[in-house]
Amino acid sequence: MRFIDSNLISDMQDLKYELKKQIIQELNLQDIKPEDIIDDAPLFGDGLGLDSIDALELVVLMEKYHGVKILDETVGKKVLASINTMAEYIVEENSKKT
Amino acid sequence: MKIFVTGIGVVSAIGLNAEENLCSLRSGVTGIRRSSVYNLMLGEVKLCNEQLIQLLNLPNEDFSRTTLLSILAAKEAWGKNKIVDDIRTGIISSTSVGGLDRIEKYYFESQTNKSSESYKLMTHDNGRTTERVAAELGVSGYIGTISTACSSGANAIMQGARLIEANKLDRVIVGGCDPLAIFDIKGFSSLNIYDQEICKPFDESRKGLNLGEGAAFLVLENDQSISITDNTPLCLLSGWDNATDAFHQTASSANGKGARLAMINALAKANITSEKINYVNAHGTGTGNNDLSESIALKTVFGDNIPPFSSTKGFTGHTLAAAGAIEAVYCVQAIRSQTILPNLNFSTPMTETGMIPEKTFRPGTQIEYVLSNSFGFGGNCTCLIFGKAN
Amino acid sequence: MNVSELNPASELIEPDYSEFIPAMDRRRMSKVIKMAIACSIDCLKQAGLDQPDGIIVGTSMGCCVHTKNFLDKIIGANDGPLSPTSFIVSTHNTIAGQISLLLKNHGYNITHTQNSLSFEQALMDGILCIQNGYSNVLIGGADEEEDTIYNMKARLNDETIHLTHGASFFILSGKAASPASVNLIDVGSFGLINNPSKIIMRFLDSNNLSSEEIDLVLYANTEHKKTDELKMIFGQKKIFDYQKISGTYYTNSAFAMNYGIDILRLRSHPVFGNSIGKVLVCNNLIPENLGLILIDNKNQLG
Repeated sequence: MRFIDSNLISDMQDLKYELKKQIIQELNLQDIKPEDIIDDAPLFGDGLGLDSIDALELVVLMEKYHGVKILDETVGKKVLASINTMAEYIVEENSKKT
Repeated sequence: MKIFVTGIGVVSAIGLNAEENLCSLRSGVTGIRRSSVYNLMLGEVKLCNEQLIQLLNLPNEDFSRTTLLSILAAKEAWGKNKIVDDIRTGIISSTSVGGLDRIEKYYFESQTNKSSESYKLMTHDNGRTTERVAAELGVSGYIGTISTACSSGANAIMQGARLIEANKLDRVIVGGCDPLAIFDIKGFSSLNIYDQEICKPFDESRKGLNLGEGAAFLVLENDQSISITDNTPLCLLSGWDNATDAFHQTASSANGKGARLAMINALAKANITSEKINYVNAHGTGTGNNDLSESIALKTVFGDNIPPFSSTKGFTGHTLAAAGAIEAVYCVQAIRSQTILPNLNFSTPMTETGMIPEKTFRPGTQIEYVLSNSFGFGGNCTCLIFGKAN
Repeated sequence: MNVSELNPASELIEPDYSEFIPAMDRRRMSKVIKMAIACSIDCLKQAGLDQPDGIIVGTSMGCCVHTKNFLDKIIGANDGPLSPTSFIVSTHNTIAGQISLLLKNHGYNITHTQNSLSFEQALMDGILCIQNGYSNVLIGGADEEEDTIYNMKARLNDETIHLTHGASFFILSGKAASPASVNLIDVGSFGLINNPSKIIMRFLDSNNLSSEEIDLVLYANTEHKKTDELKMIFGQKKIFDYQKISGTYYTNSAFAMNYGIDILRLRSHPVFGNSIGKVLVCNNLIPENLGLILIDNKNQLG
């Protein structure tokens, strides 16, 4: 039986919300609100419609705001797929540091 | 109407003049070195501004490096030409940095030292550096500057030819220059587009580009001008075209449409078929995207008969606006010396194409036509074709 | 048609850019790119065209706001991670490039950046295209205002100038599209000159015209002496300083050509008089550079 830590869940919710706000700001998505971005929706291509320049900006965002580096294009493609994958990566990388 | 190339001048990481550049191409020695300041591989011209000012006998002013490198190359190309009333002469240069090397220096200074107003003195713009070169050579009248990122130099050459063809000018100095500027060094860094070692154009394991700096100019003349100057034609500028990829601001399309259009139309302008091309000097930056896109475009244009091709950016680095002009000079030298130029650092062909560039400096080749590609941000694609003068 | 002169509080009159540019594209565009795209789309619509054969832009300062932004980002990043967007859209040819991207245009695409002569050189280039067989070329002049990294007042040696910005675009064609079409007779770009009057007379002469045949001269300069010379050649009543309505930016001769075309279409003006058939734009904004644009309304369709 696993016990779910409700603190962890709310931390995760906060992190995802922060990410959405940061993405809107850094990518200058003027007409979009955090509520419009769905956690598991694809950020690139059909979903939010981001492109390769946005991908570079997201890499910068991850390092600047969350201290995690994405050094590899293959890793980048997986990590930046959605809000969920971005948040999971941040938590995973930061837990390695503690 | 024939457009004759009668003068060339070049300064780059592999030499301060045309002869030195050709020697380096022959010896296979790259000019790209690790910069201690940036921990990056860069193709620097081996003279600082103060040394250039001394070499050029200029007053001790705060010149933009764009001006200094341009004057050095333009003077070499201009040679013993003189301004006379009977020859309508113009100059068309190209640059993306222009006076930005001065602006950034003073802007950074002013931001860290709030009391410094020195940046307010900076008034350089792209056109200003060309005017300074024009003044040095005594040219007035048509003084122009083109800025289309990495295809700029080629476009300046094309523009000069078009003005001669339209009977607006008889003689024109054409080319381009970009110095290394912090703006570009940091800019390309933010794109994650560098190879941390020396670039490997067209190689399967290529990782990106190295930045370089330099300047190059050519003198173009029509029959009427040559009948007065008596200059010896080095070769002909036979064909040219500019087209747009319209795919993305920085990336080239998978099928290289813009590149293909430029090459096809340049061949049509030169009134030759693709079989006549004996050597291609490729844009070949060493990035994953460009080299693949350009390869596909070459395959589409040349089919199974791709001529010997190479990128010389392994020697000079990617000199941005100057690239099209520096590589045009190399094409002129290739025709003059009947030599295929080498592509450094190649060992494994790309899986997608299997294409193998020329690895050695190959004199004694029959060369009648050379094709040169230059592609820039904004999907700007330019192709020049040079032909042997008889 | 009366256009009021600028005052210190005058602001750029802009359209709603969302009518021309989708949000995902607009977010990266500085003002000069948005202005140019809006003008271009409007121009093509007026001409009834989907695509031009070529796109030629004259801009002196290019995307200087993005240039400054990136310099600020370099300072702010302090050797840390650096945001690339401003760098990517800072090249001078981003304007022409973004137009081609939006239109999916694969034609000729060039950007001229010869400070105050940028637009004239773009026009000359356009004429070459038409002479080489292109049917329609989109040509424009555009500059945005950015006063921190480039000191235009110092460059022009005039602290009194009113810095502004703007974009003016045109479709150049080999044939008159309608009775409203105006003829572009000739364009000249003259750099490092010291005798503009002589060059003006030679330019008119090469077009078989005397100064009396010019009905209106739209001029720009920063030296009173040059205005006196223009008055001597053309007469006081015929000359007008277009910077009074455009303000100062390097490609404002494009604005002047636009204004001249509007007047030629009406053939008269409340101030400049009736029977206006020939207009000369005389751009001497930088004293040692002279741009000349000659337009008339001799109707090609009869």
